[in-house]
Amino acid sequence: MTRKLLTGNGAAAWGARLANVDYVPAFPITPQTEIIETIAAWSDAGEIPARMVTLESEHSMITAAGAAAATGVRVFTATSSQGLLYGMEMVYTVAGWRVPLVMVNVSRGVAAPLTLESDHNDIMAARDSGFLQIHCSTCQEVLDSVLIAYRLAEDKNVRLPVIVNLDGFYLSYTREPVEIPEPEAIRKFLPAFDTKNSKFRASTPTSQAVAVLGGSPYSYFRYETHLAAMQAIDVYGDIAKTFSQQFGRNYPAIEAYRCEDAEIVYVMIGSFSTKAREAVDQLRQTGTAVGLVRPRLLRPFPTKELQKVTAGKQGIAVIDQNISMGKGGVLHTEVASALYGKSNAPKILTSFIGGLGGRDISAEEFYEMVKVTKQAINDGVTPEPRLLYTRDEYREMQKLQAIAHVEREELETTQ
Amino acid sequence: MYRIRFHGRGGQGMKTASRILGTAFFLECFEVQDAPRYGAERRGAPIFSYVRASRSPINERGVITNPDLIVVADDSLIPIPAAGVLQGITDNTTLLINGHDDANTWKHRLNINCKVLILPVTEEVEDRAELPFVGSACVGAAARLIGVITEENLVEAVNDEISSLGADLIKQNIDQATQAFELMAKHEGLVKESTSKTPLDYEQPEWINIPFENASISAPTIHAAATSVEVRTGLWRTLRPVINYDRCKNCWWVCSTICPDSAISVNEKSEPVIDYDHCKGCMICVARCAPHAIETIPEQLAQEKEKQTA
Amino acid sequence: MNEVVMQHMTDLPSTHLLGTGTPMCSGCGGLEALHEIYDVLGKNTVFVNAAGCMTLLSVYPFTPFRGSWLYTAMASAPAGAQGVRDALDILLEQKCIKKEEDLEVVVLTGDGSAYGMGLSATSGAIERGLDFIYICYDNEGYGNTGQQFSAATPHAAKTATSRGSSGFAGYKKDLFSIWAAHKPSYVATVIGSEPLDLARKIEKAKQMKGPRLIIALAPCPPGWDFNPRDTVDIGKLAVKTGVWPLKEYIDGKVIHNIPHHRVPVEDYLQKQGRFVHLFTPKRNEEMLNEMQARVDAYWDAVSE
Repeated sequence: MTRKLLTGNGAAAWGARLANVDYVPAFPITPQTEIIETIAAWSDAGEIPARMVTLESEHSMITAAGAAAATGVRVFTATSSQGLLYGMEMVYTVAGWRVPLVMVNVSRGVAAPLTLESDHNDIMAARDSGFLQIHCSTCQEVLDSVLIAYRLAEDKNVRLPVIVNLDGFYLSYTREPVEIPEPEAIRKFLPAFDTKNSKFRASTPTSQAVAVLGGSPYSYFRYETHLAAMQAIDVYGDIAKTFSQQFGRNYPAIEAYRCEDAEIVYVMIGSFSTKAREAVDQLRQTGTAVGLVRPRLLRPFPTKELQKVTAGKQGIAVIDQNISMGKGGVLHTEVASALYGKSNAPKILTSFIGGLGGRDISAEEFYEMVKVTKQAINDGVTPEPRLLYTRDEYREMQKLQAIAHVEREELETTQ
Repeated sequence: MYRIRFHGRGGQGMKTASRILGTAFFLECFEVQDAPRYGAERRGAPIFSYVRASRSPINERGVITNPDLIVVADDSLIPIPAAGVLQGITDNTTLLINGHDDANTWKHRLNINCKVLILPVTEEVEDRAELPFVGSACVGAAARLIGVITEENLVEAVNDEISSLGADLIKQNIDQATQAFELMAKHEGLVKESTSKTPLDYEQPEWINIPFENASISAPTIHAAATSVEVRTGLWRTLRPVINYDRCKNCWWVCSTICPDSAISVNEKSEPVIDYDHCKGCMICVARCAPHAIETIPEQLAQEKEKQTA
Repeated sequence: MNEVVMQHMTDLPSTHLLGTGTPMCSGCGGLEALHEIYDVLGKNTVFVNAAGCMTLLSVYPFTPFRGSWLYTAMASAPAGAQGVRDALDILLEQKCIKKEEDLEVVVLTGDGSAYGMGLSATSGAIERGLDFIYICYDNEGYGNTGQQFSAATPHAAKTATSRGSSGFAGYKKDLFSIWAAHKPSYVATVIGSEPLDLARKIEKAKQMKGPRLIIALAPCPPGWDFNPRDTVDIGKLAVKTGVWPLKEYIDGKVIHNIPHHRVPVEDYLQKQGRFVHLFTPKRNEEMLNEMQARVDAYWDAVSE
C-alpha cells in the first residue's frame, strides 16, 4: 500500500487501473479529461492491459461501453455534465440491457447557461435510469468506490451498471492524500470479470436488448430492473463490510456523522458534505447537537437506513446542489418521500438549495441553516425552501446585467 | 490548519508551486489539499492556486477565503482587482511579494497592517510570463515562513513534482527553492496556523429571495454589441509592443489585420494605433512588421516610465 | 477469394438461415436483401441494430437469427459494433475464447439512421478502421413510422410529410460517396432483386477486413405504394433504368455495373404510387424530363 497525493480524477483512474479493466471507451469533456488522459498514458506506456478507444460522442461512448460489457469484458468509462446528457438515451438503454459496467461522472452544472463548474443537476438527470449511483466526498472515496462499484455491478443479484459520482473542481482537480491498495489485495476483493451472464459467442446464439410488444412484458422487465436495484442495498452493505474488513475504510450506504444524540441533522451528498462535517464539529463545540447524514448510495435509495438514522430527531436540513425547475431540491423530495408518515420522523424538514454552478457554501451558511431549522422547530412551522443567495451576489448580478444592457426599468415601474 | 494562496500569471507555474508545497507538507506527514483555480487559464492572465495543510483530516473545501499566507509571484498583479490577490486579507495574514519595492511601500500603497515580506526578484527578465523558477522560489520562501518543512523535504517535493523536466531544470529549480528558503531564515515560523470561523463569531449571511424577473431580464442574453471591450485584457500583457512612427511605413493593413484581438486600429492619418487596454502582448505585430517599426518593451518597464512622465 | 463459387444463380444457397415468422411487411424488399445477405455471411455473426423497421425482427421472445443480435439506438449502432468487436478482440487476445467462437460484427440499420442520425457514429467507426460490415436497408424514408421523408428520399416522391403536388422537394443524399470519401475497405450498392450480384459482393466483403459498407435499396410496398408482388419487378427496374446504380468502391476506385440498355426512368416511376402525381391527372413532362436527365447525366459521367 502506498499513500500519495492524488486528484479526484487521478483517484478515479487508479480505481479503474486496480479493477484491472479490459476496455475503456472514452470521450473528453471538462472536468473529466484528466481521467482519460491518465488512463491513456498508462495504456500507451504498456503499464495497463486495458484497450482504450476514443469514440466520436458520449452517446457512442456509452453504446460501446454497454456493447462491450454485453460481450463479456470489464468496462470503465467516464463523462460529465453535457456529455452525460448527450449520452442520456444510452444511459437508460444500457441499464435496461442489464450489463455491468462502471462509469465515473464528474459532476458539473448543465446548460443553459453553460458552465464548467460543479453542481448535481447532471447526475440527478440520470437518477431514474437504472444506473446505480455512488456519491463521493473525498478523493480516497473515489478510488475505493470504483472498486466497490465493480463488485456491486457484477453481483449476480444486481447486474446493473453503476455511476460513481465526484464533484468537478472540488474533487476532480483537488489533490488529497489517497491510499492506493496493493493489486494483490484488490484481486482478493474483486475477482476477475465473470463472463457467465453476458456474452456473444458463435456457439451460443443470443439476442440481447430486444424490443417488446405490450405493457405487460415491458412492465415485467422494468420492474425486475427496479427489484435488482433494490437488491443492491443489501448487496452493497455486504460489499462495504468486506471492503472495510479488508482495507479498514468504512463506506456504509448512509454515512451518519455524530448523529446518535443529534437534534438536528444536515442531509447532503457529495464533496461539500465535508464542509457540513466541519460545521457539525464547530457547532458541537458550542453545545448545539448537530449531525450529518450523507447518503453515499443515491440509487438505490437507502430508505430504511435513512428512517433509522433520522428517527427521533427534531429537524432535518436538506442541502441540494441541484434544482428541479418548478419543484425545488431533488434530495429534499427524496428525503420527504422516505420519511412521510413515519411515526418517528422529524417534524421539521427544511430545504436549502445552494452551491449551484460551483457557488461556494460558506461555513456561515452552514451555521445559519441550523439556526433557521432550530427556529422552525421552535415555531413548529417549516419555512419555504431557501435559495442560498446573498444581497451582495444579487447586486453583482445586476452590475453584470447593466453591462449586458438588460432593461430593468420595466420591472422597477411595475413594482 | 495552514491556508496558503499563490497568485501569479498563467505561465509562471502557480499550479506547480501549490503542488510542490502540498507535497512538502505531505512529506512532513500533514494532511493536505492542493488545487489550482482553473478559469481562463491563459498565458499572462491572473491565476491562483491554494494549499491547505493540517495535522488532522481537512474538511474545508474550495477557494481559501481566509488565507494565513498569500504568496504573490508577480507584484504587478496586486493592484488589479480582478486578480483578487488581497481577497480575505486580515492583519493576521502574511503577504509575501516577489518584487522590487520594499515592504513599507506596499503597506502604504495598499493601506494594510498585515506582515509584508519581500522576496527580491533575483533577476529581472524581459518577459514576466516566463519568469524563470519563480514558482520554486516562492515555494522555498513560503516553506521557511511556515517553518514546519525541512529543506530536505522541500528539495524532495521539488524533485517529485517536476521530475519530468530533466536534470538541469530540476537542479535550477531546487537552487532557487533552497536560496529562497535560506533568505527567509530569520522569518522562520512567521506564518501561524489559524482556526476556523466558529458559530459564535460568524457574520450572518444576508440571504435574500431573488425576485421574479421575466425572461426579457432573466434569460442569459446580452442585448448589445461588443460588450467584451469592457474586459481589460491588457492586464495580461507582460511585454508591450510600441510603434516607432519614424520607422512605420503606415502599411497598417499588416499589423492591424493580423492582430488577433482587434487591438490595433488606424487613425485618420493612416497610422496604426495600439489599444493597450486590450493588447494581450502576443507580439505577432512585432514579428510580422517588415520595417521593424514595432519594438518590444517589458511591460513592467513601460509602466514605470509612464509613471515617471505622468 | 470465393467469388468463383457465385457464378450462376444455381450457385446460390438453397437453404436459408434467416428464420421465418418475422413481423416485416409482406413483400419487404429489405427483408429480401437481408435474408440473401445472411445466407452468405452465415450464422457466426452478431447483428448490431439501430432503430428502424428491422428493430422489430427481434421482439421478445422471438428472433429470426441463428446467430446473435444486439439492439442499440437509432444514432449509435456503429458504436455498438465497436464495443462488441473490441470486446471480442480482447477476449481472443486473453485467450478467453477460441477463434471458432469469434463473430463477424454486422451493423444493420435503415436509411433514416444511415443517412442521418447515425452518420456521425458511422464516420467515427470508419475513421477508426473498425473491422465490421454495415448493412443499410434503404427504403427511402422513415418507414417504421409511416414513411415520412428522410435524407434518402428521392426527388418528387410523395411521403407522409411531402404530400404536396410535387412531392419531396429535396434530392436523395449520395451516401455511397460520403462513405467512400472515408476510404474504407469496401463500399457497395446491392438490391435483393439481383441476388447473384448481391451474393458476390457480400462474399467479397466477407473476405476482407476493416470497414465494409453495403447499401441495399429496399423496395417498400406500403411506403412506395405498390403491390407486394411487384417488389422484385420494381427492384429490377431500379437497376435497368439506372436509378439505382450497382457499384463498388474498392482500392480507391469506383466500379460500376453499367446497364447494357437503360430503359426510361418513367418505367420505374409509374409502377409506384408515390410517383403517381407525375402521371395523373396530367403528365408532368417537365419533372419527368428532369428526372431522366439527372439519371442520364449520372451515367454520362460514369462512362467518361
